[in-house]
Amino acid sequence: MKRRTFLTAASATVIIPALARADQTAIKMRDLYNKDLSFSDLARSLEGQRITVQGFMAPPLKADSSFFVLTKKPLAVCPFCETDAEWPDDILAIYTKRRVKVIPFSVKIETTGVLELGSFKDAETGFVSRVRLSDATYS
Amino acid sequence: MKTSLIALTAALVSTTALADGHTGLPQAGNDWFTAANAMIAEKAAIAANTSKAKNVIILIADGNGVGTNYATRLWQGQQSGNMGDEHILPHETFPHLALSKTYNVNAQTPDSAGTGTAMHTGVKTKAGVIGVDETLNRGDCSQVEGASVANAAEIFSGMDKAVGIISTARLTHATPASVYAHSADRNFEDDSKLPEGCAVPDIAAQLIDAMKSGMVDIALGGGRRHFITKETEGPEGKSGKRTDGRNLIEEAGAAGISYVWNDETAAAADLSKPVLGLFESSHMKYEHDRAGEPSLAEMTEMAIKALEGNEGGFFLSIEAGRVDHANHDGNLHRVVTDGVAFTDAIAKADELTDDNDTLIIVTADHEHAIAFNGYCGRGTPITGLCYDIDPAGVKHTGEPLLADDGKPYTVAGYLNGSGTVLREDINWVGARGDLTQEDATDADYVQQALIPKSSESHSGEDVAIYGKGPWAHLLNGTVEQNYIFHVMYHAITAE
Repeated sequence: MKRRTFLTAASATVIIPALARADQTAIKMRDLYNKDLSFSDLARSLEGQRITVQGFMAPPLKADSSFFVLTKKPLAVCPFCETDAEWPDDILAIYTKRRVKVIPFSVKIETTGVLELGSFKDAETGFVSRVRLSDATYS
Repeated sequence: MKTSLIALTAALVSTTALADGHTGLPQAGNDWFTAANAMIAEKAAIAANTSKAKNVIILIADGNGVGTNYATRLWQGQQSGNMGDEHILPHETFPHLALSKTYNVNAQTPDSAGTGTAMHTGVKTKAGVIGVDETLNRGDCSQVEGASVANAAEIFSGMDKAVGIISTARLTHATPASVYAHSADRNFEDDSKLPEGCAVPDIAAQLIDAMKSGMVDIALGGGRRHFITKETEGPEGKSGKRTDGRNLIEEAGAAGISYVWNDETAAAADLSKPVLGLFESSHMKYEHDRAGEPSLAEMTEMAIKALEGNEGGFFLSIEAGRVDHANHDGNLHRVVTDGVAFTDAIAKADELTDDNDTLIIVTADHEHAIAFNGYCGRGTPITGLCYDIDPAGVKHTGEPLLADDGKPYTVAGYLNGSGTVLREDINWVGARGDLTQEDATDADYVQQALIPKSSESHSGEDVAIYGKGPWAHLLNGTVEQNYIFHVMYHAITAE
């Protein structure tokens, strides 16, 4: 049993190098913001286009959703579960094509979607985002 | 062999004999040898300063133990063009040094509330409580009155000292709160966190009371949200946390306290009046991300200028609060960049004061689960990959060393934290991902860790205490953390 678990795990780890080889053109989240948290020229120039952004999937707010938050560093603590914990200022809301399959918070992913700028309140979760990727896929 | 060793030892005990005693040794012309030899005279000339301290400044970098300080030393050295190891941080020039045992009464691994209370009241206490002794059970408000101990703001203002508090964390956070507050729980930062029936004011309210009463003259840091209500928006658009309808910032203004909230208003502050600076809704920004806020060194200068006019002198507690947070994140880049901001504040405090009448103490409240790999060659970037030693030279070879899994590894890592290499989705089995120097030295890189934890943890190991000025020579050996308060108190009261 243990051996089987290990083999499963070993085969699963094969995906790690694949992730690390990800597209060199991926944008880092910080490139979308200026230091004062206004949108960067790059973000403005890419608005409405399909782009790829590197980051980490924060633990999803709810199960069976098509929404998650991309953070620039691993964010294990769910800010909705902890007293007063807050989202970092520079996050990216992701609206996915399909139901979200959770990826551990510590694994770097690349997400591709259409860049949307401006405040938007999610009707279902009440989550307010300033910048989003819609119709997104990730790996 | 033994005889010559004895002879050498004998020569070393007399500083006047040094030059002669060394001339016959083959290493007498070696640069390392002559530099260390010259230091003997420098150290022998250090005299105890037994003057009465007019002013005391304690600078605490939260979570900046000996290991973390080492990382900052190498980072700053490498940024300034040397290999890092030989670099000397401002406090490392101080003449006196001790090691601090940081545990709390009930915790081998301490938290900042217990350690702050130790340094600011002179007694160790339990983890998580502020300005009370160990008889209090965390969270029990009813015990606060009976368990309260006098804190630094109360004691030193009672000696006609002006009092200042600075933190890059929230001013209501554990370390700064321990200067002025008494609370059954560090989390009682505003009234919304108080348990029902708790008669003890929340920590933010206690700060405003301390400022209104003239006990605290200047307080600069983050944490605006605990001073305003849920319905009130601060100048940066974020709402507060209070549920009691009080706007403590307005109350401070009505009491004649100047309020500043960004770098521009801080620069224009009237320092002849008490000043409350709240530069962020929560913690101030990391130095790496700072925009629109004063640096720790700028706040230090502002506070010293505000306090130095007081005839009776001043007590100033300065916290670099976010070295700790970056360690909790496992993000060494922000650890060392906030570490450098801390050293800039130390240099500024030293520059603006006189060793003859000002005791400066530099320390940390606790260390973290940070550790350093080997065997890296000289000049290996401290946030990056461990490069091999060059047997034929001094600087590293530029070739990353590989672990038994065939992959390179960084110099620094964490025993636990969000950088864990174990994965929940595969039954907590792990494998280290590939790693390049570009990845590892990225500002947002999280160093690899072993044990999976959402937030990397403190550790219980010793931290250093550096001192200069009156009675700083009392800092030597390995001491309990609460001893620091007694050195400050002794320096102020010495006759």
